[in-house]
Amino acid sequence: MSNVTRNRLTGADSTTGELVSQVVLGTSVLAFVAAWLLLLQWVDETATLAGVPALQLLGGAVVLIGAGLTFVGVGSRLGYLDATPSSTAGVPVGFVFGLLWAILGGIAATLVLGDALSLWLPVATVFGVGGFLGSVLPREDVGSTVPLGTILALFGASVAFGGIDANWTWSPSWSAAVFPGSELVPVAVVFATLLGAWGGAKAKLGFGAEGRQAGAYYLVGSVVFAMLGVLALLVAFIVTNGLETVLTGTSLTGGHLTLPFVGLQVPWAEFPFLLNQTGGLFVEIPGVLPAVIGTLWLVFGAVLFAVPLGVGAAVFLTEYAERGRFTQVVEVATNGLWSTPSIVFGLFGLAFLVPRISGGNSIFVGQLVLGFMLLPLVLITCREAILAVPDKHRDASAALGVTKWQTIRSVVLPAAMPGTITGIILGVGRIAGETAPLLLVFGGSPYPSSSPNVIGSFEFGIEPPFVTNEALLSPASALPYQLYSTITAGVFPKEVFTNTEFGWGTALVLLLVVVGLYAIGVGSRLYFRRKLHHE
Amino acid sequence: MTQILQQTRDAPSRLRAYAAGRLVATRQRARDYRSRTTDGAIAMHALVFASVVATFLLFLAGSEWTVLPVIAFVATFAVGWSRYQAEAAKALTFLTTVATVSILSLIIAFLLVRSEPIVRHMGLDVLTRIEQPLWTSNQGGVYALTPMMAGTAVTTVIATLVAAPIGIAGAVFVSEIAPRRVREVVKPGIELMAGIPSITYGFIGLTIVNQYFYVEFGTPTIGTYFAAGLMIGIMALPTVVTVSEDALNAVPESVKSGALAMGSTKWQTTKSVTIPAGLSGVSAGVLLGVGRALGETMAATVMLTHTKGFPSPVFDVFSNYGETLTTVIAFEGGNASGIHMSALFAGGVVLFVTVMLLSVTSQYVEWRMYQKLGGER
Repeated sequence: MSNVTRNRLTGADSTTGELVSQVVLGTSVLAFVAAWLLLLQWVDETATLAGVPALQLLGGAVVLIGAGLTFVGVGSRLGYLDATPSSTAGVPVGFVFGLLWAILGGIAATLVLGDALSLWLPVATVFGVGGFLGSVLPREDVGSTVPLGTILALFGASVAFGGIDANWTWSPSWSAAVFPGSELVPVAVVFATLLGAWGGAKAKLGFGAEGRQAGAYYLVGSVVFAMLGVLALLVAFIVTNGLETVLTGTSLTGGHLTLPFVGLQVPWAEFPFLLNQTGGLFVEIPGVLPAVIGTLWLVFGAVLFAVPLGVGAAVFLTEYAERGRFTQVVEVATNGLWSTPSIVFGLFGLAFLVPRISGGNSIFVGQLVLGFMLLPLVLITCREAILAVPDKHRDASAALGVTKWQTIRSVVLPAAMPGTITGIILGVGRIAGETAPLLLVFGGSPYPSSSPNVIGSFEFGIEPPFVTNEALLSPASALPYQLYSTITAGVFPKEVFTNTEFGWGTALVLLLVVVGLYAIGVGSRLYFRRKLHHE
Repeated sequence: MTQILQQTRDAPSRLRAYAAGRLVATRQRARDYRSRTTDGAIAMHALVFASVVATFLLFLAGSEWTVLPVIAFVATFAVGWSRYQAEAAKALTFLTTVATVSILSLIIAFLLVRSEPIVRHMGLDVLTRIEQPLWTSNQGGVYALTPMMAGTAVTTVIATLVAAPIGIAGAVFVSEIAPRRVREVVKPGIELMAGIPSITYGFIGLTIVNQYFYVEFGTPTIGTYFAAGLMIGIMALPTVVTVSEDALNAVPESVKSGALAMGSTKWQTTKSVTIPAGLSGVSAGVLLGVGRALGETMAATVMLTHTKGFPSPVFDVFSNYGETLTTVIAFEGGNASGIHMSALFAGGVVLFVTVMLLSVTSQYVEWRMYQKLGGER
């Protein structure tokens, strides 16, 4: 019946049902947002609106939603409201509502009989089965509204009139925590309004296939909206908290730049948080320069190590090797490397590389370990990029009488380059924020007073290993490591910032670096894909 | 039964036949290689491989003479590149492939070797001991991984409960519901979220989420399994969304159009056609997300209390205990030694094996899906 247009001249009333459903839907959305505001503590739970406490208001809204749902469902069943319901609400709905009723039964039994498992479990089971049958057996308009509406109305009433307010607490015997009404009620309201919006949207389109589609879309949409909201909030949080620290002492004209050759000093932008050392006696505003330089060296070394290996292996797998046992082993190994937890890489570096290379934490070992982590990503993306090069190109090249290696070098690799570069950028974004292995093989003092000087400390000798680099073989700091050591260290050495403030600043710089790399990677992929499709 | 018996009886002879077949094939390949490659290139290959093997062995022994075979390798390779470029390139790509595989083998080998002392010291108690003391250097050293395994299990379950439903809803939204314009914003946005470093999540968890639970819910300590699990779940979300969304997208358009042409609504198509067809891919995404949550280190390290023990009951996620396999390695790895260090390596083995199982399962599930759909691969 999904495509039948409803006729306004049919006997039943179609506008009242739609109106009530609309009210249910609107109330749900409003209460959903309000509950989040309470949870995020942007609105205090003792706040009042027209003399009514916020929690009671939420309870009233839930009662309204429950009553509205029941009204639409019963009205449609009795034929007063126009709808096109299916014969049953379906088993999945039954499970959800059964679960709700089981929870209700469990709570009621614990309140009345006490919280022994043998007491509340049977009651909860009976309620659960009842809820399941109550939603599956009747026609859809009743089955998908009345069981839900009753529960919502009961819950809302107990909040609005039953004395569950901000000071009410629940301290179950199995947990060390105490659950206050001020937090539990908004959490429950979030779930209640999600269900309410689901039912309301269903009822608004008159149940049936169309109603279910609307209900599902509302449910999924609000969940995704909440998810994106939380994720965006996290980012916004870091930015607002870190911005002040990062901008401390900045000015556009406060610094000096000595022009080369001329020796003239001109005003120049000043950015102490980015350009100052972290520790040291004469630093007024501590900065993250050593960590930035350390991260740059780490990423540089890791790319230098992983990219040739990864690209080489990808070429061998796609161009030279025949598909068989060996390529399968390599594939499994690559995916295995890719999913190996980062801390395990750290352990490996600690056991294998540290005693053989530097005898302690060092930049070089950190580079290699991060390189190991980057390798599978480079391999996978480069392989996919090479596979995406059409065979036409290879055949055309072969038809010119060119050898296989020349084809690979001048046809396949250039064509696969964009995809590979995108993969490398994304991988670099991942390893730039990696902390766990650095704790074991890389990190040095929590507040370094000098940046690693790698270029200037190469030394040549006649004893093996002939070339040494003291800076590469000593520990340093990197942005994520700096954040970790700031969090775990005690009091911050300078008075300008507290530990937390400095941490927020570091987190913001780290976020900018990593998300910037990701944005470039994702953007370049979109760009290349679009270019490919236009051709 | 008789069939199996027959097969076992045949096994030795079949094995022999297989080995003989391989031998013939290898000999044939060697002959091909010799006839196709010039003597100079063969010499270069031999020298390159010998120098790589020598480099590896000397490095393994920790010798400072490692640099000599490296120089030999570079020199041979430079000469070879100028004279037999194609052969040199092939050898190089082969070496890089072998290196990739050997890194994984080395990881496994070193984890096992370094965790052997604790197993010799404590036997299987490492994985099964549940009475006090669980983790102490007294009494000759007792290091049981059980509380950490329980902690990892608890945080992972919470994280999965957060990430799986929301992640799947997100995937359905991006791939089936969202209009094109919305999708073009939401999808890269979610991928960006995957890039936020875990230590940043940990910092937010430490300063905000932990404080929230401590103040509002009166948890005995700042930092609980629940708060950490919640944060890890949020971190695992983008992985679940991206992989599941790819799986839903891989369901051929013709299948969906078929359902739509039968008069079903879009949601009916999604629910009864697309999701069942892409289910194995979606579960692969969830498994990958679980793997991410299991191996997640920094957020948990920063947020948990590092008190080892079992809450009572075990599922009390608000207790004062808090330690997982990853956090104990990250927290104590810097200054452990002897069998204490060995115990941390044993923890690494447990983690590695679990994540590997998850990874292989998800690969198998995904592979089956593409087989079933007759996908583009």
